[in-house]
Amino acid sequence: MMKNALKGLAVVAAAALTLTACSSGGSGGDGDNKTEGNLPLNIGNFLDVTSWDPSLADIGFDGPYMSAVYDPLVVVDGDGEPQPALATKWEVSEDFKTITMDLRTDAVFSDGEKFDAAAAVKSLEYLKAGVRSQEAYNKVESFEAVDADTIAIHLTERDDTILYFMGLGRSYMMAPAAIDDGSLAQAPVGSGPYTLGKASIPGAEYHFDKVADHWAADDFRFDPLVISPLSDPTAMLNGMEGGQFNVIYGDQSAIDLAAANDWNVSSGLATWVGLQFTDRAGTTEMGKPLGDLKVRQALNTAFNGAEMLKAIARSNGTATNQVFPADTTGNLSDLNGLYKPSIETAKKLLAEAGYADGFSLKMPMAGPFQPYQAAAEQVFGELGIKVTWDEYQFMDYMGNAPTYPMFIGVISMDGNAVATVERQIAMPQWYNPNTGLEAFPEIKAQTEKVFTAAPGDEQDTEIEALNKMVTEEAWFAVWYQANNSYISTKEFTVTPVIGMMFPTLRHINVVG
Amino acid sequence: MDPLPVTESNQEYSMLTFTLKRLLSGVILLFAVATATFFLAHAAIPDPTLGLLGSAATPEAQASLAQKIGTDRPVVVQYGEWILQLVQGNFGDSWRNFQPVSEQIATKLPVTLSVVTIAILLSALLGGVLGVLAGLRPNTWIDKLVKAGAVVLFALPGFWVALVLVMLFAVQLKWFPAVGYTQPGQSLSGWALSITLPAIALAVGAVVMIAEQLRNAIIQADRQDYVRTLRSRGLPRHRIVIHLLRNAAPASLTVLALMFVGLLSGAIVVEQIFALPGIGALTQGSSQNGDIPMLLGITVITVVFVVIVNFLLDILLGWINPKARVK
Repeated sequence: MMKNALKGLAVVAAAALTLTACSSGGSGGDGDNKTEGNLPLNIGNFLDVTSWDPSLADIGFDGPYMSAVYDPLVVVDGDGEPQPALATKWEVSEDFKTITMDLRTDAVFSDGEKFDAAAAVKSLEYLKAGVRSQEAYNKVESFEAVDADTIAIHLTERDDTILYFMGLGRSYMMAPAAIDDGSLAQAPVGSGPYTLGKASIPGAEYHFDKVADHWAADDFRFDPLVISPLSDPTAMLNGMEGGQFNVIYGDQSAIDLAAANDWNVSSGLATWVGLQFTDRAGTTEMGKPLGDLKVRQALNTAFNGAEMLKAIARSNGTATNQVFPADTTGNLSDLNGLYKPSIETAKKLLAEAGYADGFSLKMPMAGPFQPYQAAAEQVFGELGIKVTWDEYQFMDYMGNAPTYPMFIGVISMDGNAVATVERQIAMPQWYNPNTGLEAFPEIKAQTEKVFTAAPGDEQDTEIEALNKMVTEEAWFAVWYQANNSYISTKEFTVTPVIGMMFPTLRHINVVG
Repeated sequence: MDPLPVTESNQEYSMLTFTLKRLLSGVILLFAVATATFFLAHAAIPDPTLGLLGSAATPEAQASLAQKIGTDRPVVVQYGEWILQLVQGNFGDSWRNFQPVSEQIATKLPVTLSVVTIAILLSALLGGVLGVLAGLRPNTWIDKLVKAGAVVLFALPGFWVALVLVMLFAVQLKWFPAVGYTQPGQSLSGWALSITLPAIALAVGAVVMIAEQLRNAIIQADRQDYVRTLRSRGLPRHRIVIHLLRNAAPASLTVLALMFVGLLSGAIVVEQIFALPGIGALTQGSSQNGDIPMLLGITVITVVFVVIVNFLLDILLGWINPKARVK
């Protein structure tokens, strides 16, 4: 009987081995040989690649994956400024409705097709139709191949953010044949500095083979290159400490360990944290108090953002009361002292608004926002504001939060000031379905001025004026702006980009 | 009326009826769970487009995606379509990357199964040996060790054990990789190294539970009249042990089968800590994104496994104890 039992165990073990062998992607041999002058780079990214098809990819964490196999027309630098890539230069027409781009002539797709204007137009048309990529091309009328190495983007109206969004990861060029046969999601075909290696294990690690004669090969000194998705910060840190990674998306624990391990830390602003008002006009019964400026100002005054930054984000961010990223166009440091934290002042403002005893309202809550719930509860309690929390799963939170007059928000920021005006103030977004501009004609008029001012200093001045207005009108109650951080071994540095949760390979540099 | 004598044909009839009934109840269970999960998922995530599109979602993009994935239609219509596909063995396409759900599950399932299978084998072997030793020698040091170990190890959270293992054997000693998975086709030794710590982390709680269960069952069986009779007839010790095991095994096997199901869900945490691309990670990601077809596919596959494991358990119990074969 023992013999039979052992046989049984052997069969089960063999079955397990067979099952696991079934999924083997095979050995690609894209390997461990370090090319001269290059350094091995193993990246621990926070999420798996969404799709190898750029029309379905996310900007957030897909940056390193996409930038390995695809070249974009435009990239953005650390300041959010569009920079040349496959498009070597561009001109915007005087009426701002046509962008003409000169293209490189030495790029080749991995299937052998040559990159040219026709391929660029085909890719752009594909991106414009894509469910996720279309966000960049809402104001595009048509794309035109002017000649073999020139394209024109014709707009229905002026669009000051199209180049920025293209640079964030919405202008990756794909081989025309791969677009035609609909195979991009399974097998990316771009002209990027790497190709996807056969040794890749979907969901675990993606190996990339360096393209030796890539037009910008010298800018990508990583070989071998491996990107691993890991959603757990502890796992990422363990991988870094165990020597498996060179660059990871880091949390505060990783930052704390960096000095002892001789790691580099790069941090950049990513989100603003605070109260998002969705009923600034006080049109609903529950949101009525928020229609009063003094109530919104009271909520701005009641919270001590700088203390919350220290206590909750462990100082990994910047204390500011504005939605424009600190130290960028639009953000005015003078405004940071506008709502000096004081419960007494807040109570006084509420009393002046006729809410000396506070008021009642409902707010949504979900797991990721619980760190802020206690602080909010305490402040609301001191003001006499009685909040009933409706619990949601995180997935449900995004859909339901905007149906409440206000909610605790951790909202992504942009490195481009006009994009901030669009996304935070002027255009409906998931977190702001009704902008409320109609109830604030002065702000609406100022928004128009931003969109019609000449790009540059004139437009920047209008943006600053708009920010002053929305901050004084207490359109948001911003507690602080939070950083994203990236930890790298001493051979690498990372340039954070506001608007990208994880930068692209172009933002990872070899030291020296 | 005298009871029907147990004949060979009677046994076969019973096993056939039993098998068919089991299969039918499995199909009904699968259908019921799939239906309930479908409506619960749609009720919990009424508008998945926001989660799927992320923070860049504009109303236009939401509408465009809703049309593409079909959520702009009544839920009942969506259900009818999905169940028809399911009957044909088609789980549909993921709403996240628009690739077939079955293909994605097929790449992740072997990872989870390999870790869970190794954990079960470890639990059965170690737990079995410890349980038999403790059960045959009650109140000796080995018995006390098993009992104390059961209390301590079972109380330890799985994720804590996993973290200790990774800190000690991966980060400090660097004997094993801290994260990641190697396919056996790529490197068999790499595969073994990549799943050793996760499997141990999963198995720790199961080992002591199996040991404790088997120990108690053996002690209980040892007190039965038939054992005293066997002893009085002078049957050799090892023959008596075999009888004891036959009677004690069913309870432990039942626990083992339940463990398999439990470990499938426990694997979610372990896969996260070791960054293994298994079903756990897929479930977590799909849940965060609101990828309902993927969640439904995972649920259906899990139910199929539960049905299969329970079915195999019944067969195994019948093989070990012939009395169980007759209804």
